[in-house]
Amino acid sequence: MADSEGMAVRLQSLPQATQVGFRVTLASQMSAANALGIPALPGVNRFIGAGGLLVLWLGPDEWLLIAPDGMVEWESRLRNAIGADQGAVVDVSANRVGFELSGPAARDVLASCCALDLHPRAFGPGGCGQTLIAKAQVILAQTDLETYRILVRPSFANYVAAWLEDGVAGVQGHAKADL
Amino acid sequence: MHPNEHALHNPEFLWRNPDPKPSYDVVIVGGGLHGLSTAYHLARNHGIKRVAVVERGWLGNGNAVRNTTIIRSNYLRDESAALYEHCLKLWEVWTEELDYEILFSQRGVLTLNHNLHEVREGHRGMYSNQLNGVDSEWLDAQAVKEFCPIVNTSADLRYPVAGGTLQRRGGIARHDAVVFALARAADRLGVDLIQGCEVTGFDIQRGRVTGLVTTKGRIGAGKVGLVGAGRTPLLARMAGIEVPLQSAPLQALVSDIVEPMLPCVVSNALHVYVSQAHKGELVMGAGRDPYTSYAQRGSFHILEDQMAAALQVFPIFGRVHLLRTWAGIVDVTPDASPIVGITPVEELYLNCGWGTGGFKATPGSGWVFAHTIAHGAPHALNAAFSLDRFETGALIDEHGASVAVH
Amino acid sequence: MLLIRCPWCGEREETEFRYGGQAHIATPRSDVDDASWARFLFHRDNPAGPFAERWVHIHGCRRWFHIVRDTLTHDITRSYLPSESPEDAG
Repeated sequence: MADSEGMAVRLQSLPQATQVGFRVTLASQMSAANALGIPALPGVNRFIGAGGLLVLWLGPDEWLLIAPDGMVEWESRLRNAIGADQGAVVDVSANRVGFELSGPAARDVLASCCALDLHPRAFGPGGCGQTLIAKAQVILAQTDLETYRILVRPSFANYVAAWLEDGVAGVQGHAKADL
Repeated sequence: MHPNEHALHNPEFLWRNPDPKPSYDVVIVGGGLHGLSTAYHLARNHGIKRVAVVERGWLGNGNAVRNTTIIRSNYLRDESAALYEHCLKLWEVWTEELDYEILFSQRGVLTLNHNLHEVREGHRGMYSNQLNGVDSEWLDAQAVKEFCPIVNTSADLRYPVAGGTLQRRGGIARHDAVVFALARAADRLGVDLIQGCEVTGFDIQRGRVTGLVTTKGRIGAGKVGLVGAGRTPLLARMAGIEVPLQSAPLQALVSDIVEPMLPCVVSNALHVYVSQAHKGELVMGAGRDPYTSYAQRGSFHILEDQMAAALQVFPIFGRVHLLRTWAGIVDVTPDASPIVGITPVEELYLNCGWGTGGFKATPGSGWVFAHTIAHGAPHALNAAFSLDRFETGALIDEHGASVAVH
Repeated sequence: MLLIRCPWCGEREETEFRYGGQAHIATPRSDVDDASWARFLFHRDNPAGPFAERWVHIHGCRRWFHIVRDTLTHDITRSYLPSESPEDAG
């Protein structure tokens, strides 16, 4: 978006990605991490980005892998690493679409519609959480100091975008998102 | 000027404030509207003169003055329609019978439907009502607009108005005036209304109740009626009776006083139910909090949802100010119908579980409960509303008629 | 609005959760008498005071857990896993 340079916040939609949800027993978590090329699966409310992949903690035995579009082989790779009786692996690529909200005022925009405590003392880069934006369930991940990735189910995407645009307008007086 | 105008504004002189006598024929525990109505009907219909009502707080303190005053009888099940219609017929004569201006106004209760499923349920309820002799009619969206012009019937809403059912005989009354009217009427018939008197235990001998332990001493009783609304489970447990109730906060709110704009009561499944009081405030109700609570306060997000829905149905409310909010503790049964009848303890009777919509039942609830106490057996109108229905399985499911709309 | 501590995700607003009623209700055998079955289906403690209850973090990790909440003050004194008993230290 040409006129977004220097703006306090920018909202854009992210390209389609491969998404693989997996649940795994304690015994096989290292195997899953090894397959993903990371030292360990991320802990509570954290995610890890490595080699073009994002691995997000979703629950006590549950993670979400986000890989570039088309890398459908991750489903079988993870299943092989985990073992058939040590977890479940499902391609959920169509389950969510992504937005990126960035800029110095990104946190202010989220504060207008999300109750999660995003203050650096409680969150920060590497933090992720499942929460609500307005009334829609989202996965929120902070990828750097001023950038947040928001994953939302497609049928709620317009609703969430409308809320975020409204928040953008609130912090900079007018909204023109790049969707 | 109404002949009772003076009394209306000076309610402190409407009843005595007696200390308890050593014993009574009947003691009613709970001085809410249902307790007062029970005591009044015990004296009026059954000639029982030695009656006391014991109230832990004061009259006109609890749900009696926290409700949204909606009166209707358009319940789904045969048993409910008969009971609530009996109540409505009593409302129609009460101003005269109680000789007190309770501002009963049959302005109509309009229940909006917002999708095909609700339209079908609305028709099902309407036909059921008509078969039970309860007035009910269908209004399509255009007729809704004509009947209540401030309803937004535009088709592009998130929840567009598809139509609604109307009970023209439904309406509102002034709830504090009903407290005053009933308390005065009961007092005149000799009922002792004992305030600031909390029950802390029951005397039960060989399975039969003989008296109560209270903060004002022991009171002997031939019969005891428990009418404690949200506190009923606590009272019943003192008598060794388990009652399947959940106590939860239900919130309401009023606006500042505005010009007449709302000619009827409007409710729907979005947890908007609203009327305009005679004085001009908009009186609105919200959904109940889901969790067990005895704190008379509810969650803000419940009110926020209520207001969002109200603004969609009534865009004109966008210029209205919220003046006051509060909560009452409602006692909700598993089937959303009340429990009125006998208990395993002899001469101990139970009237509870009116949940989110008990105000409308005030006259008939007291009527049938007084009969139950006087005769030791339920009236035909409340026989089905027994405590043992949760064992027999003969539930009276009114979730559709009573949870969302009040 | 309650602030509820999910044992896994931490403190979140009440709107992320759904209520599940009283905790630690054991399902009886299917051949119990009607009174016991009615107790199981319909009767809950409904106390005025501390209450052990179930919640699910429906918009978060989607796990069920228990809290002890005072029904008079809404104070939450414990949040714990379903595998724990309400008396466990925590």
